Amino acid sequence: MSVPVVIRKIGRAYGAMQALADVDLEIGAGEFVSFVGPSGCGKTTLLRIVADLEKPTSGEVKIGGANPKEVRRQKKLGLVSQRPAVLPWKRALDDVKFTQKITQRVGYPADQLLRDFGLEGHERKKPGQLSGGMLQRVNCASAIAHDPELLLMDEPFSALDEMKREEMGEWFARELETRPRTVLFVTHHIDEAVLLSDRVVVFSASPGRVYEIVAIGAPRPRDRSFRESRIFIETTARLRKMLFQDLEAGR
Amino acid sequence: MSERRGKRAGAMGAVASTAFKVLLPVLSIFGLWYLVIYTSELPRFVIPDPKMVLLSLVENRALIAEQFMHTLKVAGAGFLLSNVLGIGLAMLFVSLPVSRNAIMPAAITIRNVPYVIIVTVLALAMGDGFATKVTVVTLAGFFPVLVNTYRGLRAVDPIVLDRMRILDASLWEVFVKVRLPYSIPFIVAAQEITGSASIVIAIAVEWMISRTGLGYVINQGMMAYEGELVYAVALVAAVFSFVVYSVIHYLGQRLNWAESNDP
Ligand SMILES: Nc1ncnc2c1ncn2[C@@H]1O[C@H](COP(=O)(O)OP(=O)(O)O)[C@@H](O)[C@H]1O
Ligand SMILES: [Mg+2]
Repeated sequence: MSVPVVIRKIGRAYGAMQALADVDLEIGAGEFVSFVGPSGCGKTTLLRIVADLEKPTSGEVKIGGANPKEVRRQKKLGLVSQRPAVLPWKRALDDVKFTQKITQRVGYPADQLLRDFGLEGHERKKPGQLSGGMLQRVNCASAIAHDPELLLMDEPFSALDEMKREEMGEWFARELETRPRTVLFVTHHIDEAVLLSDRVVVFSASPGRVYEIVAIGAPRPRDRSFRESRIFIETTARLRKMLFQDLEAGR
Repeated sequence: MSERRGKRAGAMGAVASTAFKVLLPVLSIFGLWYLVIYTSELPRFVIPDPKMVLLSLVENRALIAEQFMHTLKVAGAGFLLSNVLGIGLAMLFVSLPVSRNAIMPAAITIRNVPYVIIVTVLALAMGDGFATKVTVVTLAGFFPVLVNTYRGLRAVDPIVLDRMRILDASLWEVFVKVRLPYSIPFIVAAQEITGSASIVIAIAVEWMISRTGLGYVINQGMMAYEGELVYAVALVAAVFSFVVYSVIHYLGQRLNWAESNDP
């Protein structure tokens, strides 16, 4: 129940501005791949192209051999948007159930999902009554409530404090162990990317290109002790150098 | 015990404060009224004594009540049709953008033609009956509903539309479950305008062409120099307008998700 994603020679221009150029990626079924890179390098754009929210100006995307549109029509996609996509008049629990009503699929019990995300006692609150971090977790729950086969996550934990971010990451790591799903995960947190991913794709900006792909050579899921391992320490250092020195210098 | 008593005292306080809020303007209106009477030289049929107005109201209560029902029907039907037409057109404009280019100029033209002309033309074409009056009220009232609803239907956060697309929602689901709820605060705002306008326009049309309704009674009172009767009808119309506005406002607040966050 997870699908491979092939991204072939994807380019996307907005007028004269080339946002993405020649992006080639092959992502295996059940693989967890993180995208990191300077802001504006086209990470969101790439996710939106995979999600059939935007058309590439060149190249193509295949998800399990099918076009993004076909996969979307089968309700197999889940996109955790960077900004919450909740309905302002719906209580948290109803918003999660709304996804399930529209898709006719109950992937997770809605109340359980909110509890797992630390929102017990807030199920009946509307967006206006929730903090930014809570809202982002409701958004996350609503985006995956139908248990999509391909998970597209765009900085899903950016509004969360360190501890909540870790808890959410651990929840996904655990969940993906029993229900393998393909995940494309955009983040600005190198630690998070290394801890969760099979591979980390580093993008460079203007135009957005794949700069380097770093494989994390350790089996998933990884627990907290992985942070003390040599692989973790060396890989984060390497990625940090790439993002903060090499890519900055090239601008 | 003491807490309950405190609550009751609080409730009574609220009632008293509401009564005060209603009474104060009424009292000041009457005060001003008497002031004008005693300081000006205006004849009594131009500005009659409030006592005489109330007396006229009581004397003519059967007539006023009967004619009020006519006005109520015209205003009510016009109000409903304004909404059907306004919301319907807004929905059409959103789902079929070409229709907006085709229809909007006509709607703006109708809105900008003086109502006297519209009334005259319609009366010549359709007579002075119920249909004519309702048509005039509708033509006067649909525009704010149309403009507001259209704005509301388009006020949807694009990120929510993306979500609906990802979930492969049908156009109908997007309309009913997203666009319409998003536009409710806008539709509610339009009701307060159109509700009051319906009453004013209904009375005005009756005054111009009809032989029924409060507008007609005002007309007759004027002809007979019965200032008290004119004022009595004005009083009824004002109270009616106020009640309609309050009901719409109250219902609007209950419907409006943007205003109420209560559980
Ligand atoms: N709809 C759009 N119109 C014009 N330019 C856009 C649009 N969407 C994104 N861009 C541009 O494309 C580039 C990549 O944007 P984005 O994918 O959001 O980057 P990231 O998510 O990596 O920060 C940016 O320069 C952005 O300004
Ligand atoms: Mg982005």
